[in-house]
Amino acid sequence: MKRLAAVFVSVWLLVVAFPYLWVLLASLKTPHDLIDPRSFVFAPTLDNWREVAASGIGNSVLSSAIVGLATVGIGVVVAVPGAYAISRWHAGGEATRFGILLSEVLPPAVLVVPLFLLAYNLGLRDTLVAVIASHLTFVLPVMTWFMVGFFDAVPKELEEQALVDGYGRIGAFIRIVLPQVLPGLGAAMIFGFVLSWNDLFYALILAGGKARTLPVAVAGYNTFRGVELGQMAVAILVSVVPVLVASFVVQKRLIRGISRGGLKV
Amino acid sequence: MFRFGIRHVFLAPLLVVLGGIVAYPLLYSLWLSVTNFNILKQGQTRFVGLDQYLGLPANETYVAALVNTLVFVGLAVAVELLLGLALALALQQVLPRRGRNVLRSFLLTPMFVTPIAVGLMFRFLLNQQLGLIPALLAQAGVRIDFFGSQLALFSIVGIDVWQWTPFMLLLMLAGLESLPTQPFEAARVDGAGTWFTFANVTLPLMRPVIAVAVLIRGLDAFKVFEYVFAITRGGPGTATETLQYEVYRTGFTFFRLGEAAAMAFVLVAIVLVLIVPLYRRVGER
Repeated sequence: MKRLAAVFVSVWLLVVAFPYLWVLLASLKTPHDLIDPRSFVFAPTLDNWREVAASGIGNSVLSSAIVGLATVGIGVVVAVPGAYAISRWHAGGEATRFGILLSEVLPPAVLVVPLFLLAYNLGLRDTLVAVIASHLTFVLPVMTWFMVGFFDAVPKELEEQALVDGYGRIGAFIRIVLPQVLPGLGAAMIFGFVLSWNDLFYALILAGGKARTLPVAVAGYNTFRGVELGQMAVAILVSVVPVLVASFVVQKRLIRGISRGGLKV
Repeated sequence: MFRFGIRHVFLAPLLVVLGGIVAYPLLYSLWLSVTNFNILKQGQTRFVGLDQYLGLPANETYVAALVNTLVFVGLAVAVELLLGLALALALQQVLPRRGRNVLRSFLLTPMFVTPIAVGLMFRFLLNQQLGLIPALLAQAGVRIDFFGSQLALFSIVGIDVWQWTPFMLLLMLAGLESLPTQPFEAARVDGAGTWFTFANVTLPLMRPVIAVAVLIRGLDAFKVFEYVFAITRGGPGTATETLQYEVYRTGFTFFRLGEAAAMAFVLVAIVLVLIVPLYRRVGER
């Protein structure tokens, strides 16, 4: 049994690792080396990286970062107090809970048509504002859902004690309850940022031009002329590496976020 | 009687924002779906009742997209669940304390990776001329066109399995870790074998976790778009048309936004059917 399990895990480890390594190798190959997929020994070059850096991908990285930070920032201001009200006072009742879960699972295909028209009519097409608004449609429900779970885990007595000690409701919330959930809040923020960073669908439709985010720019490398394959590999890595780093930071609490808030496993 | 209290001060901003960016667009879209709205012919917009919906069954591409999406979701979620559960059990068996967290973290990484990057990565890997896997297979005398009309949808399923099995693994690990220990001790005392214990103790205890994981992943899988956009654009023929891609094409390359809204609302109906059992499970507090 143990041996079988070890083999299985090892095989899966290879399956997971392999695409990363392949793309990393491709990003270091010259167009000539790229023609033979089986070449594993070659003289590495940084040309692809230089060209992608010169192509203005920095602007897209910046756009993605701005969108992610703004989305998560608004998420903190709006979703955290909302989640607290839902957790502590059951505010808004069942309808609110159901509504938030529904918006979390609503397919983007449903919202993209009206959001596109709204952006069009308000003159916000191809702006980051439109992308931020669209990303809030999924980041807000997810952050709320997570935070409800984390607030549920804070003992009521802590807060009651704070009220006895003369803090007001808001004072107790900010000084006593919030510090208790800070690690969870951090995880919810990073996770929200990753969701925003990864979105192609909304960003492509709402801002495919000069305001394009990184996934839209990466999709633009979708070409199979051998010459640009190396650059595509670089662009893939540029979008992947930050989320890989984030994933290591956030995973442990993600389990708790999903299991306490979302799932109750 | 309703009194506006502190709880409403906390909740109001969230509801106002969600109302503005989710509820209002949803109603707006419902309205669009009963018109013939086309952004290029805005002057001719009129109410057409249910015509957009009634026209869908005759739209072959749309029907293909619906069927493909259902096949995709069913297959992908089933494979991901089986693999995720098997991996979680295997990980529990083999992992030494030391390497555990690093290995687990690494195995979970694909679910965080930008889906368009995943799509391009696999398009590259599986490409006939330039990809490694067809090259290795060719060496062994096997010729497979991963994105030909026979296999394309299954290749897309495979890519989804690479990216999302980690999600199942994550939930299954969390589920396994939260199981009570007594039933397992009882089974051991009774001399139950590994398989017997798995089938009669582990699985029944894991049922709620599995149900929720399948629902969440299933709802998410309906959104498949990036792989199709990156690799096949719905082809060959209609082999990989999916609902979300079809909405994108109808709405934003043909600009028939009324029709696209109607297509999307069929998705809402599917989501609503799935979400009610999910809510029952999650909402029980």
